[in-house]
Amino acid sequence: MKRLAFLTVFFCVLSLLLAPLVLAQTKPTPAKEAAKVAVKTGAKDAIRLGGIWDFAGPCYMLSESAVQGMRIAVEEINAKGGVLGRKMDLIVRDTEMKVDVGARETKDLILREKVNFLIGPCSSGVALAVQVVHSESKILRVTCMANTEAQVVDKFTPYVTQVVPNTYMEAVAATRYLHKKYPNAKKFCTIAPDYEFGRREEAAFEEEIKRLVPDAEILYQAWPKPGEKDLTSFITAIMAKKPDAVHSSFFGGDLVAFTKQAAPYGFFEKIPFIALYDLPVFIALGADAPDGVMAFGRGCFFMDPNPKMMEFVAKYRKARGAYPDSWAVQAYDSVYLIKAAVEKAKSTDTDKVIKAMEGISLDSLRGKFFIRPLDHMGSVPCYQGIIAKDPNYPFKVWKDIVRVPGEEVWRSEAGVREVWKKTGVTR
Amino acid sequence: MSFDILFNQFLSGIARGALLFLVASGLSLTFGVLRVLNFAHGSLYMLGAFISYSIWKWLLIPVVGFYVATLLTAFIMGGIGLLIEYYILRRLYARGWPEQLLATYALILIITDIVKWFWGGEFLSIPRPKPFTGAVFLFGFPFPSYNFFIILLGLALVVFLWWLVFKTHLGDIIRAAAHDRDMVSALGIPIPWLFTWIFALGAMIAGLSGAVTAPYGAIALGMDIEIIIECFAVVVIGGMGSLPGTLLGALIVGQVYSFGIMYKPELALAFIFMVMAIVLIIRPWGIFGRPER
Repeated sequence: MKRLAFLTVFFCVLSLLLAPLVLAQTKPTPAKEAAKVAVKTGAKDAIRLGGIWDFAGPCYMLSESAVQGMRIAVEEINAKGGVLGRKMDLIVRDTEMKVDVGARETKDLILREKVNFLIGPCSSGVALAVQVVHSESKILRVTCMANTEAQVVDKFTPYVTQVVPNTYMEAVAATRYLHKKYPNAKKFCTIAPDYEFGRREEAAFEEEIKRLVPDAEILYQAWPKPGEKDLTSFITAIMAKKPDAVHSSFFGGDLVAFTKQAAPYGFFEKIPFIALYDLPVFIALGADAPDGVMAFGRGCFFMDPNPKMMEFVAKYRKARGAYPDSWAVQAYDSVYLIKAAVEKAKSTDTDKVIKAMEGISLDSLRGKFFIRPLDHMGSVPCYQGIIAKDPNYPFKVWKDIVRVPGEEVWRSEAGVREVWKKTGVTR
Repeated sequence: MSFDILFNQFLSGIARGALLFLVASGLSLTFGVLRVLNFAHGSLYMLGAFISYSIWKWLLIPVVGFYVATLLTAFIMGGIGLLIEYYILRRLYARGWPEQLLATYALILIITDIVKWFWGGEFLSIPRPKPFTGAVFLFGFPFPSYNFFIILLGLALVVFLWWLVFKTHLGDIIRAAAHDRDMVSALGIPIPWLFTWIFALGAMIAGLSGAVTAPYGAIALGMDIEIIIECFAVVVIGGMGSLPGTLLGALIVGQVYSFGIMYKPELALAFIFMVMAIVLIIRPWGIFGRPER
């Protein structure tokens, strides 16, 4: 058994030698960075912003981007003298993407950190839990990533404002785009991650496509669990149904896996497909991103390269050494929305700020939008385009971009009231 | 349903089964010999995927880069397995399963945080290596050639493990130790070292399977938990610690899932656990397992 002992030593030495090579390749992005990026001015009368974000699982990277976007906005505002002459502080807390932790941390932000406003979180599930807590404490939250429509429609409270296209708007805009590109398509399949977000997007797709194409048929709906690594069986099942087009609300890692596994089947040449292809997916896919496939998104810089946006891109790249994704853009806009509302209200009192927020118009990175007084939904744009190469960037982006203003696709006020009647919201 | 559609769905199921077998065989091997249910096996698989990404990125050799990275990953994971067994598991054999469960569960948390620390929360991806980038045509229907690579690798692993366990002297010792470790120890064979090596082998297999799934989909946090649950279904159906059982279990789970998706996608996952429940009722120790003494 001497040989075994020798081999043991050999193995240990080998792995110790190789380990530094691996570590040298990895950039440390510690979870604790969230605390580091918080902005503390030390001013006694500072306006305190609370970031409630999910530093776990698929939300980790998105939350990190959002915190960066918030920080850039807060630093800009402080450099120009603050809001109403008061500086802004930023305090960030981690929900671990858990409903109970999210509720606890929100309570802590409100009671101990005495935040005036909240921004976040990433997960729609956490958002609905957090909403109960801060509404009770009468603190306003701007939601810029979790986009379930339930926040402003089904479970409306006056203490929420949404500046990301909600599931309904996003799916309706994407469905109209798909219909415009393929007006003769009648038979559809859908594939979406099996949770709140995916279910709501596909329900809105079904509603809208049946309005546009009365004899439309949904042949097959696939609901893989989020994070499913092997989607082959879903892909072959969809192809077997021979649909005219496929609508998907896949995003992030799931979309990367789907794209890589569907490509060898010639899926993208055979079947028109639309999904949430945005920056992180393009970076991960590299050359594997399928040219000519339809995409929808929420406002990454290449979807709306206006001067204000590109200025933000330059700032972000200087701070982070990377391109900002749409999450950073929306978080940045959220801070400025709070600033505008506080200035209009001339106060940080929640009720006064809410009143000022209703109907307010903001010149954001994504162009102008306003907050609808009825349900506090922002008329934020939805974007669609076609995946293509661009020599200016080391990853694929979009071409033939369509910008749909939020007021064209959101649920009508009558429609919102109809849902409220069912869920018991009175306003 | 025409034949080619069913055949294709069948092949998808085989590919999924092969992937599951790659991961579950390591789990089954360590349980069979060490009698420790390693909850953290999925985490070793995830760590393997991340490490292979970093090596691949560091090497950046066209064509062979991926294969070199996969091999190196397997060795590194073997080394990590050695350390884990030597410093942690070794202390647990004499204790009851609740402590073993707690310790391996703690490993899941530790590895997840390590991955978060070094790689952050981004999802990463490796392009498919040549020559497995395209598809092969079977009955006029394309089938991704990388899936064939995974099936072949699964077959190779079956043959290798079968050879190791049934055809070598070491295999005799492994089987004997699984049967009666006191007796083997009394014969002068250093059981602790043997266990260390079996665990390292299991970790190597986990690292290898993590590395080969890297070009398949996305490498991301959470892939550990996602796979370990299905792997448990595989080993429970096939029989804990049985190599043929694991193979059969993986193939069953792959097919049940694949055809479940075709006919009743909402229940595809539930079908797997229904099969598991049926097996547990009829043969609580699994199809090829043997009852605990």
